[in-house]
Amino acid sequence: MASLKSYIITRTLLAIPMILILLTIVFLVMRVMPGDPVRAILGAKAPAEQVEALREQLGLNKPLIYQYFDTLSGILKGDFGRSLIWGRRPVIDEIMDHFPATLELTIFSFIISVVIGILTGVASAYNYKTFKDYFFRLYGIVTYSLFIPWFGMILQMIFGVYLKLLPIGGRIDVFMEPEKITGLYVIDSLLTMNFPALVSALKHLALPSLTLGIVLSGIYTRLTRANMIEVLRQDFITAARARGLPEKVVVFKHGLKNAFIPILTMMGLQFALLLAGAVLTETTFSWPGMGSFLLERITYRDFTTVQGTIVFFAFFVVLVSLIVDIIYAFLDPRIRY
Amino acid sequence: MKKIFLSLVLLCIVAGILASGCVEKKAPAPEKKVEEKPLIIGTTDKITVLDPAKSYDFYTWEVFNNIGEGLLRYKPGTTDIEPGLAESYTVSEDGLVYTFKLRKGLKFTDGTPFNASVVKWSIERVLRLNADPSWLVESFVDSVNVVDEYTVQIKLKKPVSYFPALLALDPPYYPVSPKAYPANEIKDSTVGIGPYKVVKWVRDQELILEANPDYYGEKPKTKKVVIKFYKDAATMRLALEKGEIDVAWRTLSPVDIKDLEEKGKFNVIGVPGGYIRYIVINVETPPLSNKTLRQAIAYAVDRKAIADKVFYGTVEPLYSMVPIGMWSHIDAFKEKYGERDLEKAKELLKQCGYSEDNPLELEFWYTPTHYGDTEKDVAAVIKESLEETGMIKVTLKSAEWATYAAEYIAKGTMPIFLLGWYPDYIDPDNYLTPFLHSEYSADLGSRYKNPEMDKLLEEAQIKLSKEERTKLYEDAQRLLAEDVPLIPLFQGKLYIVTQTNVKGVTLDPTMMLRYYLIYKE
Repeated sequence: MASLKSYIITRTLLAIPMILILLTIVFLVMRVMPGDPVRAILGAKAPAEQVEALREQLGLNKPLIYQYFDTLSGILKGDFGRSLIWGRRPVIDEIMDHFPATLELTIFSFIISVVIGILTGVASAYNYKTFKDYFFRLYGIVTYSLFIPWFGMILQMIFGVYLKLLPIGGRIDVFMEPEKITGLYVIDSLLTMNFPALVSALKHLALPSLTLGIVLSGIYTRLTRANMIEVLRQDFITAARARGLPEKVVVFKHGLKNAFIPILTMMGLQFALLLAGAVLTETTFSWPGMGSFLLERITYRDFTTVQGTIVFFAFFVVLVSLIVDIIYAFLDPRIRY
Repeated sequence: MKKIFLSLVLLCIVAGILASGCVEKKAPAPEKKVEEKPLIIGTTDKITVLDPAKSYDFYTWEVFNNIGEGLLRYKPGTTDIEPGLAESYTVSEDGLVYTFKLRKGLKFTDGTPFNASVVKWSIERVLRLNADPSWLVESFVDSVNVVDEYTVQIKLKKPVSYFPALLALDPPYYPVSPKAYPANEIKDSTVGIGPYKVVKWVRDQELILEANPDYYGEKPKTKKVVIKFYKDAATMRLALEKGEIDVAWRTLSPVDIKDLEEKGKFNVIGVPGGYIRYIVINVETPPLSNKTLRQAIAYAVDRKAIADKVFYGTVEPLYSMVPIGMWSHIDAFKEKYGERDLEKAKELLKQCGYSEDNPLELEFWYTPTHYGDTEKDVAAVIKESLEETGMIKVTLKSAEWATYAAEYIAKGTMPIFLLGWYPDYIDPDNYLTPFLHSEYSADLGSRYKNPEMDKLLEEAQIKLSKEERTKLYEDAQRLLAEDVPLIPLFQGKLYIVTQTNVKGVTLDPTMMLRYYLIYKE
């Protein structure tokens, strides 16, 4: 395990230049893009003196290199600066307002996509070249190419408007919000034993996470199927069957476990994608998360918020991929760092 | 085995849905916690910053109009101004000094008493912070003086006939609690003095209001109001259909409004709003520096097609910059150009040397999201109507709002482009002076300069009699139609869709929804 420790340290150190490069690119792209946060805030009506005054107040009149090092030293000290627009709130507060919502949606969608994807993939491989196989392969392609706002709206119509089972949008019913501990409503309501809030939060989560989960499950279906077909043909599976093991054990314990490494890699990558890909889902379901927030701030050229949010995302993705790599080692005894 | 797989798959898809559906019946309904059912209003707008010295957008102003109040206020449903936090006022003969007698014994929701020094402090704070809307004070107010505890005087830089309109609508003039707002800093604060007080505000999610027990005036019809913020108009429509919200306020898409109206299950209320859309022509860049060409475009533009094809009749074609329903409005463009006259347009184009083989080439600009996703269709219809002359070739170009407003208008990059206007105060002046007076016309893109126009507008600003002002504004509108630095296109209608048991919705040209008048039967 000593080697694992040194692996973690190396990986963490490698993340530093990566995030630095990312920050530099974002910093430059935001400033090279046409458009000016000051005018975006004040609009076309504001007199020139007022525009200049605000530019100075925001530090946007300094040379670019100064602005860059200001940002950099701030982030190194853990200070993401203040938003450029409206109330000029600290960027970290803005992030913390929106991140738990995205994380919650991401986790649930992730679970749904993995569970559905793997189960359909296994079923498809197990029934190789039968009707079920074709059906699940088709499922894989169709779901992967679904347009989220369209699919989301179909679910809203069915389960919201017609069946009146689930809410259309938002995170929780009015007056139900649980006491804030982690910001994840499901966890907070469990921690505070607030069951009405838990039910409300789960109901609100159902449609958005199903939408995103189903759309992203197709890729797992296809990946699991391909790997399972390979594994199910191998000698040790025949051997296991010959020994009279129940099919469930043969397929899931011996088969799936061996086909799992590429799926796990995909899970690591997909988690990062989910965070970013939540934008459309968030808009469709009025989910107060990071995706739509980031998009809005880009259109306002809120430099500091955009930089801060992207760096924060990067930290998070690095963390997740590190965790995935560590899980590898536990799952496959052949992998040693 | 196969059955197990299949059922597992199906289970996964259905489990989440049914589980939560089933649990619903066991769980206590959320309404049980509150004594009276709140009124729930959905909107796709957002609160930018809850500080009257900083916010400069219509929705946040609407919130201030419900949780705060000005010295004067609009009588709901009209453009009449009535006393607000001041019980009366007088104007000096030269029109320069306004003296207000304040209501006594009022206090803000944080307990701070309301008096003349609070009024002075609030207005001076807006000037000191010099943020986005401060020009609305700075351009007019010379000083604010406390006469006694309940008398305050506002001295103006020059006589402004529409000053009461500013006081009634614009939050930068609203008194705020000095305890709640720092003197030298912008801050989100929910302390107010209006009909409602804020109980809870979760940014971009919900705003919960409760009747303010200390409010001097009539008590709100509904004790609790919840505003739910939607990111998407389609989602808001579905929420209305499901009954999650009682009122769908700004802004449902035109298709949805039409569809809901036809369904007949909801109340659809539409009134002309003070929101206008128009084409701006940069009169300094050739070839559009040629007035005849601009007139040709004015002949060719098809307003009806925009209203029908893009907005399904949810907007009103507009033939002047002063909106329909506002005093002094005349259909100046209709008088001069008719509804549309292609032949005349062709004739003028020919006069300028253009023909079908040598068409006038125009770069026509729009911004794709700022005015909603109908904007590209508006631009496309305009392109179509101009190209119908056979002598104009239009290339559509677009830029994001930050670039559009920030750089391109200021630099004069765009020869002809689309823009929109929400009023800062309800007076014809606000629809004419910012666009047509030589001092400001460059800021809004046309760069139009005409001493005759300047004279008309300046005179109308000072005159106190409405009759004299009407005459001057009518002349200004005719001159605008003659010179064509701008071409008015349409006026937005305000639509609100409610459940059938919702009553008391009052809309007027201020475009502010008064939550305190709405109730459920």
